[in-house]
Amino acid sequence: MGLKDKYAIVGVGYTPQGRVPDRTALSFHVEAISNAIKDAGLKREDIDGLICYRHFPSFSGEPDVTPYLVAQHVGLAPKVMSQEANCARDQLLNALCWLEAGLCSYVVISYAHNPLSGGRFFGQGIDNYNKAVFGQFGATSGYAMAARRAMHTFATGPETWKHIAVGQRKWANLNPIAMMHDRTMTYDDYYNSRWVVEPLRLPDNCLVTDGGRACVVTSVERARHLGHPVVAIMGLGQHNPACEIEQATNMAGPTGAKLSGEIAFAMAGITPDDIDACEIYDCFTYTVEITLQDYGFFKPGEGRYWFQDGTIEPGGRMPVNTSGGQLSEAYFMGLTQLTEATMQLMGRCEERQLGPKTNTKTPEIILCSDNGGILQTHSTTILRRL
Amino acid sequence: MAYQKPLPKPNADDRFFWDGCKKHKLLFQKCQNCGLVRWPPSIICPHCHSHDTEVIEANGKGKVYTYAIYHQAYHPGFESEVPYVTAVVELEAGPHFLSNIIGCSPDDVECDMPVEVVWEDITGEFSLPKFKPIS
Repeated sequence: MGLKDKYAIVGVGYTPQGRVPDRTALSFHVEAISNAIKDAGLKREDIDGLICYRHFPSFSGEPDVTPYLVAQHVGLAPKVMSQEANCARDQLLNALCWLEAGLCSYVVISYAHNPLSGGRFFGQGIDNYNKAVFGQFGATSGYAMAARRAMHTFATGPETWKHIAVGQRKWANLNPIAMMHDRTMTYDDYYNSRWVVEPLRLPDNCLVTDGGRACVVTSVERARHLGHPVVAIMGLGQHNPACEIEQATNMAGPTGAKLSGEIAFAMAGITPDDIDACEIYDCFTYTVEITLQDYGFFKPGEGRYWFQDGTIEPGGRMPVNTSGGQLSEAYFMGLTQLTEATMQLMGRCEERQLGPKTNTKTPEIILCSDNGGILQTHSTTILRRL
Repeated sequence: MAYQKPLPKPNADDRFFWDGCKKHKLLFQKCQNCGLVRWPPSIICPHCHSHDTEVIEANGKGKVYTYAIYHQAYHPGFESEVPYVTAVVELEAGPHFLSNIIGCSPDDVECDMPVEVVWEDITGEFSLPKFKPIS
C-alpha cells in the first residue's frame, strides 16, 4: 500500500479518567470525540466518518452504545460510520481506507468505557461453556498460558516482566493524568504483589479505567492547514493469527506482531533501528515483551538483557509506553498508544516529554502497536513528525 | 449440595462430544480426506474443507502444552478450589484440549508433563474429562 505519509492524526480527545463515578460509557465517547474535534481545530460539521468501539453486550441500565447513538449525541451525520468490536484492531486501517477511497475527509475514532464505576468489567461473563466448565475465564488466564509457554520455550519470566512493570510506572509518575501517577513501584513491590493468574501478578495486568479517548484522522495535505505539527502515518500493518489460545501454537512467537511489523516497516521504508520510542499495547507485561521480540528489537529470550538497566524508562535508550501505558496510565485499547505517540511527536507532553526534559532522544518516529483477543489480532502503526 | 459450577451447554456442533463424555469416551471428529483430528468441532475440516468426517475415540493420553494457576475465582463455583490449574493438553490423538490438571499440587505442574484423562461425573447428565499426571 502506498499510504506512507499521506494521512495524519490531527487531534486527540481526552476525558476525566480513572475511577469516575456517575458517568455513562456514552458520555465518555461524546466528551472524547468533542474534545478531539476541538483539538484538531475543526467543527462537528467537518466530521464525515465515525468509528466507535462497541462493547457487546451493552450494560444493564445504560443505553447500548451504538455508533448511531454516539453520532446523534455529538451532532454528527457521517457519510460512513462503523464500529470496532470484539477486539479486531482495524479501526485506524478502516479510517484510512475511507479517506483513501475519497469517501471521507475527516474521520474520528473513539473508545470509551465505565467498567470501574459501571460495575461490569470487560470480558466478564461466560462466552464459551466448553471453557467455563473447567474454570477458564477472562483474558488474564489466556495471557498467563501464553506467558507460561514462553517461559518454557525461551526462558523468560518475572525477572524480565518486572522491568516492564517498573519502567512504565516511572513514566506514569511523570504523567499527572495517569491512574498510577502518585504510586511508585520498586522491583520488591512487583515481587511482593499478589498473583492473579500465575505466572501473572497484579502489576503484570493492565488497569481497568473509566473514561474515553478519541482522535481525528485526515490527509497530510489538510493537516498542514490545521493547528498542530503534522503527525503522519508512515507505516501500517496488520495480521490476524485468529486461532484461540487453547489451540494456538504461536503464543511464544511468532505472534501477529511479526508479519504486521514487517508490513509496517516495509511501508515506512525503515527498520527498528530508526525508531525513537515505542508505544506498545500492554494488556499484560508479557505482551510488551513478545511484541518487541517479534518486531525484531531483540532475539527470543534476550529480552531479559535488553530490558535491563532502564532501557525503556525515562533516560533510557528506547523509551516504551511513555504515558505509563495501559499498565500504569489508563486503558483505552489501541488509543492509549496512538494518542500518546501523537502527543509526544507534537511536543505536548510536558514533564514526560521525550527529549532533553527526560534525557531521551527528541522523537521523530514512534512505533505503536495494538493487539486483541489473546494474541489473535495485531496492528502496527509507525508515526512520524513531518 | 447441588453442583455450583457452570455446566456444559451442548450445541449442534459439540453434542456428540458431551454424549461421549457421559460414557467416559473422549470423542473427536477426524477428517476422512486429510486425516486431521479437530477440536473444537466443526462442520468442515479447517485444513482441507472436506465435509467427510468420522468420529474417533482418543486414547486419553497427552502432555501439558501450557497451563495457568488461578489464584482468584472468576465464578462463585470455583471459590473453594483456588488455587486450581487450567491447562491445554496436547493429546496424542492430535487436538489441543482445554481442561484441568488434578491429582497433584499446582506447583508440580510443568509444560510437557505426561498426563492422562480421569473422568469426573458432575451430574447425572454430564461427565468432565480432566487430566492427572502419569506416574
